[in-house]
Amino acid sequence: MNFLLDIDPKTFWNAPNGSFELYAKIFIALILAVAATVGMLYAPPQLRKWIIRLVTFGSGLFYVMFWLFPAPIDRQPTSAPRNAVETFSFWVSDSQLVVASLTNVISGFLIGLGIYSLLRVHLGRIAKQQRDWAFSAVLVGSMVVMVFFGFGDWIQHQDPKNFILADQKNWGLINYGRDLLFDGLLQNMDAGMFSIVAFYILSAAYRAFRARSVEATILLLTALLVILSLMGVVEFLWSGFIDKISPTNFGMHAFVQSFKLSAMSGWLRSNVQTPAIRGIDFGVGIGLLAMGLRLWLSLEKTGGEG
Amino acid sequence: MAMNESQAPSLAEKLQSLPKQVIYGILLVTCTVPLFFSVKLPNKPIDASIDFYGQTMKLPDNGRVIICSDWTNSTRGESKGEMEVLLKLLMRKHIKFVLMSIGDVQAPQVAKDTIREVNALEKLTGGTPYKEFEDYVNLGYFAAGEGTILAVNNKILSIAQGKKDFPEGAGPKDALQSPVFQGVKSVEDFNMFYLVTASSTNRTVLERITKCPLMFMVSGVMVPENNSYYAAKQLKGLCGGVKGVYDLETLMENGINNGSDSVESDLYRGEKIPGWPGKGNTGKGTAYYLALHFALALLIIAVIVGNVGMLLSKKGSK
Repeated sequence: MNFLLDIDPKTFWNAPNGSFELYAKIFIALILAVAATVGMLYAPPQLRKWIIRLVTFGSGLFYVMFWLFPAPIDRQPTSAPRNAVETFSFWVSDSQLVVASLTNVISGFLIGLGIYSLLRVHLGRIAKQQRDWAFSAVLVGSMVVMVFFGFGDWIQHQDPKNFILADQKNWGLINYGRDLLFDGLLQNMDAGMFSIVAFYILSAAYRAFRARSVEATILLLTALLVILSLMGVVEFLWSGFIDKISPTNFGMHAFVQSFKLSAMSGWLRSNVQTPAIRGIDFGVGIGLLAMGLRLWLSLEKTGGEG
Repeated sequence: MAMNESQAPSLAEKLQSLPKQVIYGILLVTCTVPLFFSVKLPNKPIDASIDFYGQTMKLPDNGRVIICSDWTNSTRGESKGEMEVLLKLLMRKHIKFVLMSIGDVQAPQVAKDTIREVNALEKLTGGTPYKEFEDYVNLGYFAAGEGTILAVNNKILSIAQGKKDFPEGAGPKDALQSPVFQGVKSVEDFNMFYLVTASSTNRTVLERITKCPLMFMVSGVMVPENNSYYAAKQLKGLCGGVKGVYDLETLMENGINNGSDSVESDLYRGEKIPGWPGKGNTGKGTAYYLALHFALALLIIAVIVGNVGMLLSKKGSK
């Protein structure tokens, strides 16, 4: 966590290490955080709704300001603001670092919330011995074991005397445990799960990729060309064939050369695929903008306040 | 008997309804067997890979870059090869790097494991292994990717403040004390920002890093999307999937416009970019390219078989 640390240049958000100003800022931040938490706990539901809306709007407004408010060009660490506009602009720019740190901290809390939610659901299922409770037991057990060995290994690495752990010969039970669980099990299961996708892709392509219409046939042929261009051997053999039959006449030579797989797939990428993706991206971007506005202005009700 | 004959499926039906166990079995064999053979296949690197290699080779020796490693072992078939080839390139040019992740909590550890493996490989071929803290500094994982990447562009030192790294033979030290950060004032002091990813962090980086040139290494399915940014020159180079890795391995072996065996490219006309012939350039790309051939060939055959079945059944019904 780097906000309120002694970062140069000095801004509203930091102060020298050990100074009264630093401790005062930490104290004020703490008081404000406690007051906000208690306030939220005791606020009536209707007011709470408006507080959430206000916080959402304020959070969004910061980044809107960051992107849209005129930023000083070529600002140096020693630059001082010359007017109110620049003062605000400097403040927004300096505050972004603090906001970035805060979002990292909030994301940390989300992990805590996730763990709480997971334990609440699965411990309840185990206690009541509901259907498939054994899977819940495996899940909770795996989490506890991973946390134990993971943190144990991490704590050992924090000790300056334990630099010898860089060499596997000096590992103990905790280190071997973490290695087995993380590198030995989790990583390989991760890879195994993802590789299953290949089976589904092949099966789906075989069953569904049919030339039932003109559009489907065009799609099929373009896909075939692109796939073949990824196969170096096919590309090499076909290029050799094209070079062999290519006439010396310049116009015809260029025409025949354009039938090389790399030329055809390159043309498809540049003139068909890229513009199509840009068009899709443009549409998605507009959709995201509309969605972002709805979220920012708390107009989006689904999945939020009920 | 006659009844049985009338019920027997026709060839068209058979072709359209191969049991999935058979399809899965064939895929398993065709993808596994080639892994036991290291075969150097002919290859013509695509422009995006050539640019990736050319731009990396043009970086100053002893320079400094950022690697945002956002892959995990779920895509190791592609991403690990990409990371390995990138590390080899940087190590051979003695370029220091900052390692960070915004995509997945597992990513920093996976990247560190890969660095250790590449160190061992480089040592075997006479190279100098990279030391943590001295040659690269690991900032770890940042949960809020968007804000963090914006802060990298805005003021990179702020994201390293308070972070610890583990030098070899010593306890944890402040990341900012690392030689990698010496003399750094902003992200502009880095020669390149590399992103190795198999997730949507490509957009996070592309939209926010404006003060440093970018190059991406992405999984095969992400190539079309990122090709759009490469075509617009927002990316200096792009390496995509196993083909991209094999392209880079080919270029490392032969160089660009560098003699009889080298890759000829109009992108670097009049320039000779060397390679490192015979210096352990083969890696995951060479290992998996043959398997990719078989898998793609199988995909094509499966689609053809299905379509032939459909055509036969249409013909039969007329």
